Amino acid sequence: MNVPLSIAPVFRGRALATIGMCWLVVVGIAAIGAPLLAPFDPLEFDPLVRLSDPGWPHLFGTDHFGRDSLSRAIYGARMAIVIGSGSVLIALVAGGLVGMLSAYFVRLGHLLMRIVDVLMAFPALLLALVLMTLLERSVLNTVIVIGIVYATTTARIVFGMTLKLKRDVFVDAAICSGAGHASVLFRHILPNLVSPMLVQASFIFAFAQLQAAALDFLGLGLPPEVPSWGNMLSEERIYVTRAPWLLIFPGALIILSVFSMNLVGDALRDNIDPRFKDDIAGV
Amino acid sequence: MLIYALNRVLTLVPTLLAASFLVFMFIHLIPGDPASILLGDTATPEEVAQLSRELGLDEPLWTQYVLWLGNVLQGDLGTSVFFREPVLSVIADGAETSILLATMTMFWIVLFGVPIGIVSAMRHGSWVDQATSGGAMLFASVPTFWLGLYLILIFSVGLGWFPSSGFPSIADEGGASNLRYLVLPSLTLAAPNAALIIRLIRASMLDVSREDHVRTARAKGLHPVRVAIKHIFRNALIAVSAAFGFTFAALVSEAVVTETVFSLPGIGRLVVQSILRRDYPVIQGVILVIVVFYTAINLLVDLAYASLDPRVSLK
Repeated sequence: MNVPLSIAPVFRGRALATIGMCWLVVVGIAAIGAPLLAPFDPLEFDPLVRLSDPGWPHLFGTDHFGRDSLSRAIYGARMAIVIGSGSVLIALVAGGLVGMLSAYFVRLGHLLMRIVDVLMAFPALLLALVLMTLLERSVLNTVIVIGIVYATTTARIVFGMTLKLKRDVFVDAAICSGAGHASVLFRHILPNLVSPMLVQASFIFAFAQLQAAALDFLGLGLPPEVPSWGNMLSEERIYVTRAPWLLIFPGALIILSVFSMNLVGDALRDNIDPRFKDDIAGV
Repeated sequence: MLIYALNRVLTLVPTLLAASFLVFMFIHLIPGDPASILLGDTATPEEVAQLSRELGLDEPLWTQYVLWLGNVLQGDLGTSVFFREPVLSVIADGAETSILLATMTMFWIVLFGVPIGIVSAMRHGSWVDQATSGGAMLFASVPTFWLGLYLILIFSVGLGWFPSSGFPSIADEGGASNLRYLVLPSLTLAAPNAALIIRLIRASMLDVSREDHVRTARAKGLHPVRVAIKHIFRNALIAVSAAFGFTFAALVSEAVVTETVFSLPGIGRLVVQSILRRDYPVIQGVILVIVVFYTAINLLVDLAYASLDPRVSLK
């Protein structure tokens, strides 16, 4: 019943997904080792080398403050991981709880799922914009806002999957052998949801990058001084004709990371319980 | 079917009421006195006092909401702090651009998405399929503003084929040739959405192709293209047409970023600029209009879906 995800069969015969996974590992290493890997301080201004071409010692060139682009890109990997994992955590915990409880306790479900419906009446980007208007620009708030946006869809997906599982014989068996509500929910139903939620997590991780970049671009995401790929694009876009590399590198990093995460999610989805395959939309 | 339709409309009423309450609460969640927030920094104390009375700010929250909802239902969304005009007419000014942009985007999505999706499903598993599926996923992974900037760089700055920004209103200045201003923005907005449609068409056609009637069609020797179009695609179209509807509904708000890149005078850019200008009455009004529009389109899609596929309303 509960097929644990092992890595080998997921990536067998999927060259692209394997390359994607490798790229994500590289991003992870860059995020962890940023202070060691970055050749310069990502925040340090150097007016003498403003907008210099890619070359030595500035491999990715410098921006309009003379900051080293490569170092900012390496620190940007940190933000990518923080935004992605933070939003995934909030979306899965909040959305997962609401979805499971709503499907299990029918009365409570009527109330909770109506609230989810109300939040889903707001298109995703609009909801994020409205919430960011009310909150200050900070890393934590950006993560919370994106997490809430995806918590709604996650709640609906988990709700549907829990409803299917609830009818299964093993749930009846657990109840008959005297398991309480908490035990049925978290020891019997939840383990079956882990694999599909992992797939959902990979798609949320990917979309969160695009949402965060869009918020940065609109001036409503991370504070402008934070070195993130979205902020790099947003700040340097007026120099696009003079210094096109300033947009190519961070843009390519976002595209590669989102694409890789989508490929991995797609590969994972083909290996989960076939009953849940249609529940998770992804790309 | 009629019962299903009535049922769907009735369940929407509480959802919309709750959503409108959230929109109403928006002004109250901003720190400060709602009347001064709505009037902006230049208001005199007398004006603030008068608006407080009109909004019933000394009444309980519930009464204030009813007062506000009454005004909204009569088309009074308040006055823009920045434009000094009724919010509704500010929004109406952006509607032309937004609707034309969304329509043109849908045109590209259908033009590119449908044939590529069909070919991808017909050549399922081949290199053509792998290339289109992979390509579609790649396009879905590109930040729209980045794509927009590079389209401007190539087609406006480099080749000079299309204007890079703005959109002179067709209604005011006439001339359908103004549509050329929307070519690059609509392509930008279409790219990720077409990618999703391609993958959806492929997936639903593969689902349908496993059904018995398709095997029968093949067994009696019909041409593969005829089977793909008439027997598979037409059945897959039910799910796909719903996706077209949802995509269209989402486009107006998704256009926020694209309209900002191309400086289009649409509703999306209005939201962003109003947020930056702290023009709260406009923000509140636009959110309300978009939510109602989004919900209405989604309802229409649901009803169309139920009339195309009777199994839905019988459940």
